Amino acid sequence: MEQQIKKILIANRGVPAVRIMHTCRDLMIPTTAVYSTPDRLAQHVLMADTAVHIGEAPPVESYLNMDKMINAALSTGSDAVHPGWGFLAENSTFAQKVIDAGLVWIGPSPKVIDLMGDKIRAKQIAEKAHIPTIPGISDVKSADDIVKWMKKDDVAFPVMLKAAAGGGGKGMVKVERQEQLAQAFAQAQSEARKSFGDSTILAEKYIERGRHIEVQIVADSYGNVVHLFERECTLQRRNQKIIEEAPSPTLDSGLRQEICFTAVRLMREIGYSTAGTVEFIFDINTRRFYFLEVNTRLQVEHGITELITGLDIVSIMIDVARGRKLPFEQEHIFPNRWALEVRLNAEDPKTFSPSFGSITRLKTPDGPGVRIANGVYEGADIPPYYDSLFMLLMTAGADRSDAIRTMDRALSRNLRVEGVKTLAPLLLSIIRHPSFIAGEFSTRFIEEHMDELISMFKEKNSEDEALKIAGYVAEISALGPQKWM
Amino acid sequence: MKNTKFIKPNTPAKEIVSKLRSSEGVFITSTGMRDAGQSDFKNRPRIHDLVTLAPFYNDMGLFSAECHGGARWHVGVMNRKEDPFEEIEMLRQLMPNVLLQTLVRETNLFGYRPYPKNVIEKVVSTVDIDVWRCFSFLNDVRNMRTVAEAVMKRNRLFEPAISFTQADWTTNDYYLGVAQQMVELCSGTDSMILCIKDMAGVGSPARISSLVDAIKQKYPDLVVQYHRHSTDGLAMPALLAAAKAGAKILDAQEDTFTRFYGQAPILGLIAYLEESGIPVNIDRASVEASVQQVREWISQYEWAESPFKGYDHNVTKHRMPGGAFPSSFEQAEQGGFLHLMPAILAVMSLYNRIIKYFDVTPGSQITWVTCSGIVNRYDKERGNAGVKHIIKLLEKFVEEQNQNFSSMDRHEQDELLMLFRNAPGDFKNLLLGGYGRLPMGWPDDWVYESAFGDVWKEKIKERKDISPLDSVPQDDLARLRAEFADAIGRAFSEEEFILYLMHPKDAVEFISFREKYGEAPIHLPTDVWREGLKKPGDRVEFELWGKPYCIELVSTGSEHEGLIHVVMKVNNKTRVYTVETPRARKVEIRMAKTASDIGAPINGSVWRIGNPERGALKAGDIVHKGEEIANLEAMKMENAIAAPFDGQIVEVCIKLNDTVQEGQLLFVIEKV
Repeated sequence: MEQQIKKILIANRGVPAVRIMHTCRDLMIPTTAVYSTPDRLAQHVLMADTAVHIGEAPPVESYLNMDKMINAALSTGSDAVHPGWGFLAENSTFAQKVIDAGLVWIGPSPKVIDLMGDKIRAKQIAEKAHIPTIPGISDVKSADDIVKWMKKDDVAFPVMLKAAAGGGGKGMVKVERQEQLAQAFAQAQSEARKSFGDSTILAEKYIERGRHIEVQIVADSYGNVVHLFERECTLQRRNQKIIEEAPSPTLDSGLRQEICFTAVRLMREIGYSTAGTVEFIFDINTRRFYFLEVNTRLQVEHGITELITGLDIVSIMIDVARGRKLPFEQEHIFPNRWALEVRLNAEDPKTFSPSFGSITRLKTPDGPGVRIANGVYEGADIPPYYDSLFMLLMTAGADRSDAIRTMDRALSRNLRVEGVKTLAPLLLSIIRHPSFIAGEFSTRFIEEHMDELISMFKEKNSEDEALKIAGYVAEISALGPQKWM
Repeated sequence: MKNTKFIKPNTPAKEIVSKLRSSEGVFITSTGMRDAGQSDFKNRPRIHDLVTLAPFYNDMGLFSAECHGGARWHVGVMNRKEDPFEEIEMLRQLMPNVLLQTLVRETNLFGYRPYPKNVIEKVVSTVDIDVWRCFSFLNDVRNMRTVAEAVMKRNRLFEPAISFTQADWTTNDYYLGVAQQMVELCSGTDSMILCIKDMAGVGSPARISSLVDAIKQKYPDLVVQYHRHSTDGLAMPALLAAAKAGAKILDAQEDTFTRFYGQAPILGLIAYLEESGIPVNIDRASVEASVQQVREWISQYEWAESPFKGYDHNVTKHRMPGGAFPSSFEQAEQGGFLHLMPAILAVMSLYNRIIKYFDVTPGSQITWVTCSGIVNRYDKERGNAGVKHIIKLLEKFVEEQNQNFSSMDRHEQDELLMLFRNAPGDFKNLLLGGYGRLPMGWPDDWVYESAFGDVWKEKIKERKDISPLDSVPQDDLARLRAEFADAIGRAFSEEEFILYLMHPKDAVEFISFREKYGEAPIHLPTDVWREGLKKPGDRVEFELWGKPYCIELVSTGSEHEGLIHVVMKVNNKTRVYTVETPRARKVEIRMAKTASDIGAPINGSVWRIGNPERGALKAGDIVHKGEEIANLEAMKMENAIAAPFDGQIVEVCIKLNDTVQEGQLLFVIEKV
């Protein structure tokens, strides 16, 4: 039976909220935005048909506050909730509350979220389904537990500590040496508690020079599970992805088939529906892949899969939530593009120190082959309380070098952001680096090449220089001749 | 006379000299791009304007264009915000035919202290200049050795300059002795030219004629250049006299540039020489065009002119050099003692008979600071009468008693013995031989007693007779590089490093100015550079890197809480600039500076001070290396701050939940 969806509340802000509203508009479904006090004039608020203030800046008072979220939906006549990514996207309690409030939850069932949200159980399920997993230990109570496990299973440093409930790099700490273990464990616990409200930690062997490959899945409530091929998300800094591409330059077609069908098998096993992702780590030396986790939500980098397949994943999620069947089968999916995404974070490209403030000038790239997912507008503020991502820049071409070329143009010629620092210079250096172009890189590429990448930052362009001159003219016009002259 | 014998850059020194020797008539060095602006306009003429002369210079047939060195370097970095290397690059492009000439102060190079050999070598080997005019304010030729060797090693032309003044002790024999040392330094006359540097403009025509003649008698092949300022009003006849006596190169500047203290007007000089039967190697049409070009922008610099206008034949007494006139008067004006100038000049004319050297940088600064200090002290303590008194006392001592100290009254002696007590350190350093040997030997003992008090005898024992080249220890360039990189927070070019070697503090300020304002000093016309855009609709257009730009003023808001909003259109796009006035409220943020300062590695908020194990930390607590002492959160990521060493907390500079910026001081920890 088809569920009616008349109005969707997007329980999110910034890039994901704006992205989802675009599809809602395509489907002629009105939207409700929610906002915290500093987001009062944010892009997603201005875009929505209605908007509700849900609290103060700290996420726990606003974007993580489930009851306010549900009240906002009910008070605005919204009958469905899309959580986006981050915040409450993988919170089964919230999903359940949405359903209990009589609203449509656009996402997987709370049961599945729960199952996969607990990294330890997810791993056990994967093992049961004969899907390869990384050696590790779950439910770590203390740093000592990790030491014991390493001894027993003959595991050497480095190891990775992860929030069992986590994702997105938060609560993840890599430990290189025994001495760091205690502090790292404390940090991982604390971050886990802060980000996910759950301090359970697991530890795993860290696969050196691993490549991060994930498979996009869409499934309906009728047991149809289709993969939309893979994405490569190896380029990360501080365990957060910053460049993704589809397809993966690492895999040959045999491995591609294997990894994609492994993902389908797992998702079918757990009865998954709607969009989700199965993440793997690929060991380039042994050419083996290991299951990492399932992301039971829309992912940041879903756009590149849309570019190579021509599908709209958000639209599929809404249709599945309405109770519709997938309109296609596996053999209908033909990726025929190569797509690249870079994450434009408001950060210092040399130090990754966050750079918040007002975007005083914004020009987004255009021209053939470019797709922008923008969470801001010229004049908007980037508040210090939330994620630093404010724009996704995607390009597509007939092959990988085409996509890279278009991205080079977009980053170096088309894009202009003033008022905050962005990762753009670093992103440009990376896509121009010979190793990136050759498709040879690991998750440690950025840390290993940081100095070289910084040295590739383009020093100056004439527009920036002209603005410096204008700044001088403004100052002297206001103040008159200066003493130092 | 149409000049066809261009001597172009990259001609070996020997070939330049041989070309000069074999040419008839005289050549001109134009000082339009350096000394003209220094002498009458405080070195403020901007490269933006000076480059407009370059195409004419390129066809003019000049011997050289003096465009570099002296105080132009320092004023460029400090006031015009121009980089001397950038200037050379622009001029090279626009006048590839012209030899570029600098003025360098032997061991003091383009700064004010004696630099060690390794710095001199580094600087001279990096600066792309063809003709190196080098002077010593002590005529201590020993001090020129390192510059000379570095120049000659590059096969560029070294031009030692005799610092000239007219006094009873500066005889032809004295100067011939100096010239001989210079010729020896250059291993003969074939690869050098010798300059007579009359920097105050005091040489009478007969005196100059006699000196040039004496030098030419002794060294018939030596190419002599006469550099002269106009201060005494006798420049033209003196230049003619020099040419008649055999000087080959004369310095001149655009007639339209001429005021009082610079060089002679070039068109007038050419006419005067030619009428007197001395051909001049020059293309007059190019000179006329250049003279005309100066009119296009010279009115922009009225504000920079010396308040002391007019020729001054008394310069033959006080000997303030042309280049120092405007800056000295500016200092007097800023210091509020412009009315004391006549007294200061009078004291100078007596002082320079007690302590004998040449009034040119850094000597002129030592003279100026010492004499203006004396006059100011008397003015403050005893008013106008005191000023008159000290002049009278010095007149009695110098003129009546012929500097016979014991012939003075007891109380007069006591007063003289306090005369130099408050003199600047540079004056005392000069007395101790820090700059080299004084041309007429060390001053009398009473000067030492006056400067150093009770310890004067020990000080005399410390006095050095060797050149600073042999006494100044080498600088640790690797350490200086590290300091410089630290000061500007990035890697730097060799040229930037040289700016730093010359004037460390000013170079760092210059670089931060240019990082903020880019090429504004290069591209903005002088009225906009100085006063901005004045009324709505005013615009400035320029080309930057081959593309057109236009900045138009839309409106200037009124001041509110120290801020003014300026709306401008930059290439048609409206932009609002918030300008802070001096009244803007400044939030002082303490930054981590020393090793014991612990700074924030990122922008973020302080969510924990201390660590979970021992709780919050406070001043007095002992922390151990690697122990977490605070934790910053930024965009939901935690960043532990670890103690870099074992130590005791002296100060906790933050509070819980403070938002801190990168580099902001978090803790001061004392090592234990």
